[in-house]
Amino acid sequence: MKGFSALTEKPWLATPDSAIAYDASGGTPLAQIALRFLLMVISIAFVLIFVTFLTRSQYPDFQALAGEPWLPFNQSPRLWATTAVLVAASAAMHWAWHSVKSQKPDGVMLGISVGGFLALVFIMAQWTTWNYLANLGYGVSDNPANSYFYLFTGLHALHLFGGVLAVVRVFIRIGQGCSIDQVAVAVKACTTYWHYLLALWLVLFFLLTRTPEAYALLAAACGLG
Amino acid sequence: MTHIAIADQEPELHHPRTFIGKYIWSQDHKVIAIQYACTAIFVGLVALMLSVVMRLQLGFPDQFDFINPNMYLQFVTMHGMIMVIYLLTALLLGGFGNYLIPLMVGTRDMVFPYLNMLSFWFYFLSVLVLLASFFAPGGPTGAGWTLYPPQSILEGTPGSGWGIVLMLASLAIFIIAFTMGGLNYVSTILQARTRGMTLMRMPLTIWGIFTATILGLFAFPALLVSAIMMLFDSVLGTSFFMPAIVSLGEATDYEGGSPILFQHLFWFFGHPEVYIVALPAFGMVSDVLSVHARKNIFGYRMMVWAIVIIGGLSFVVWAHHMYVSGMNPYFGFFFATTTLIIAVPTAIKVYNWVLTLWQGNIHLTVPMLFAIGFIFTFTHGGLSGLFLGNVVIDLPLSDTFFVVAHFHMVMGVSPIMVLFAAIYHWFPLVTGKQLNTRLGMIHFWGTFLGTYAIYLPMHYIGFLGVPRRYYALGDTSFIPDSAHALNANITIAVIIVALFQLIFIINLFWTIKREPKSRINPWDAASLEWHTPDVPPRHGNWGKELPTVHRWAYDYSVPGVVNDFIPQHVPDSDVTYEPGYDRTATGREST
Repeated sequence: MKGFSALTEKPWLATPDSAIAYDASGGTPLAQIALRFLLMVISIAFVLIFVTFLTRSQYPDFQALAGEPWLPFNQSPRLWATTAVLVAASAAMHWAWHSVKSQKPDGVMLGISVGGFLALVFIMAQWTTWNYLANLGYGVSDNPANSYFYLFTGLHALHLFGGVLAVVRVFIRIGQGCSIDQVAVAVKACTTYWHYLLALWLVLFFLLTRTPEAYALLAAACGLG
Repeated sequence: MTHIAIADQEPELHHPRTFIGKYIWSQDHKVIAIQYACTAIFVGLVALMLSVVMRLQLGFPDQFDFINPNMYLQFVTMHGMIMVIYLLTALLLGGFGNYLIPLMVGTRDMVFPYLNMLSFWFYFLSVLVLLASFFAPGGPTGAGWTLYPPQSILEGTPGSGWGIVLMLASLAIFIIAFTMGGLNYVSTILQARTRGMTLMRMPLTIWGIFTATILGLFAFPALLVSAIMMLFDSVLGTSFFMPAIVSLGEATDYEGGSPILFQHLFWFFGHPEVYIVALPAFGMVSDVLSVHARKNIFGYRMMVWAIVIIGGLSFVVWAHHMYVSGMNPYFGFFFATTTLIIAVPTAIKVYNWVLTLWQGNIHLTVPMLFAIGFIFTFTHGGLSGLFLGNVVIDLPLSDTFFVVAHFHMVMGVSPIMVLFAAIYHWFPLVTGKQLNTRLGMIHFWGTFLGTYAIYLPMHYIGFLGVPRRYYALGDTSFIPDSAHALNANITIAVIIVALFQLIFIINLFWTIKREPKSRINPWDAASLEWHTPDVPPRHGNWGKELPTVHRWAYDYSVPGVVNDFIPQHVPDSDVTYEPGYDRTATGREST
């Protein structure tokens, strides 16, 4: 309603200055505002690929990567392991943010170090998964399901790598003597980003390891069947 | 609610001292804006040259031998893409957005100056990559600006190797640049407005830029996704969009992809893109009209709502570009309906511009002439859009010159008229000098009348069924000789209009070199950007203290007030009323 009342203001009327509120504290940190928009942008990109994926999954040449015993992701311990790594990375970043709130510099350093390191481990694990798939004969152009797997996981890894660069910057700032309060907004933004990428990975994991029947159901539910 | 603590960052501003720091790796929004503008105008002139060469081929196919059919398609593609993305989007948002946002909302700079600098250099890189395709083996892509697969990456199309890869890479880099800039614009407008600058006191220019930026942030991902997926198809041999197909007599390895998926993705970006260009233009023209008619903008609130509603609706009309793709008739009905609905807020804006002029104290300055010219060209372009928005009329007109004439009027000529209005209007702020009026008048009349000489007959030959994207029409029975004669006339008009643009370029240099300093705020504008302590504004914009805003940006010819405008930062206590004037009689006093 706040937004609505702002849009119904009558600016041509003389309004006493005292009637106009302003927030001297600065309100929501800028990095948070920008991050929210960035996450919306990333979400839109992935949702659009989801839509094409579900549409493409209903074409006759699409061969899902799960659903039969011989398919690579019918059982997916490899992906569960990488998921565990990303969960741990997210938890470490959360610990860093928790340490910011409780003013524990060592905890912040430990949290972002472990979070960043585990994110790199996750990216390396994705790399080994791509090699594993390629060695099994599931190359990027052999089937649209494979193409989407490489596309989705590649883009996700790229975004995570961008996050690692942001963490490295925070790390350097702390090393240069910045106080916890000075890096608090950045740590909060990194933590939000890590949680977001974990959630995105869980959606991707779910989507990429479904059977053809599940895709048919999902596509029908989205009106794409 | 405004956040003055964020807006007032004077102690944190880093004032560069070296030439490179000031003008190359600058983080000052004004320098970045000029960098954007110069790059965009340069690349726009390249695109203009391409169109002249294309028109020479079309108008006089037997007389000139500049280009072959492949080059014609390549020039068509590059002309379209450069004009839409690298000129209009970049100049309106990167150029004017950067320059005007901090000054109009009363802040010292963008909230992320470093990111802002990166935004420009990524844009610059994207332009270099795009232009590099002219020198790549096979030349630039000739797939048309829509880059439709499968033809865009099949061998029969010019530039299907390096050309399309460089185009897609350039677009991806541009989108990264836009996202960095866009996050800055949105954050600055939402969080860094000065004291008293409520959302509804912002000039319509800022509303247009703000909404267009949000559209861009939400629509460009569709282009990015389609560019990445097509790069996969082109380079890695995947079949996202590529169907099983025989090319040049040989079966390809592609199988099962859907070109229609690409079309949906492309137009999910492509239609909002029209408004990414149009909304900032709507905002700027509103401000120019109001200032030069010495009258407040008519229906300010409705103008804001119309901008927001147009922005929202622009996401549900994309498939009207795809009526001939074989879509379900019910889809066609839906998209035709939404397309016609979007005409309502757009018409409100046109009426309000006209009503702003009604009984105004109209000053026929050069910016005002361009702004009024825009109302004509935009209305005409919009009217032909009503035809094309209807499925049954669109089908026979699709892929004819009627479509070319329509979109050039509505999103080529019209935004460019506003760009010229804006350049003539804000040039004294940027440089401290007013562009030469005589040269400006010549430029306006040549451009305005010239564009009608180009596009009115183009509608007609489109009605006759003359197809677009053809290198030469040849002797075809359904195209009468009169159409060939009109084609030649159009080409002559294009050359004349192009020459008139040289007058504008000459005017820029002439003014900078020869014209004396103009007085500060030569148009007597009320909005904040004209009231900085220094003109042109210095780094940090506002000196020691940020201004406080006491009113909207449209207090012109206020009844009972001695001056014919009241600047936004002037409090009521400093306004001089005529003796004996009853202030409560106007209804302006809030209750």
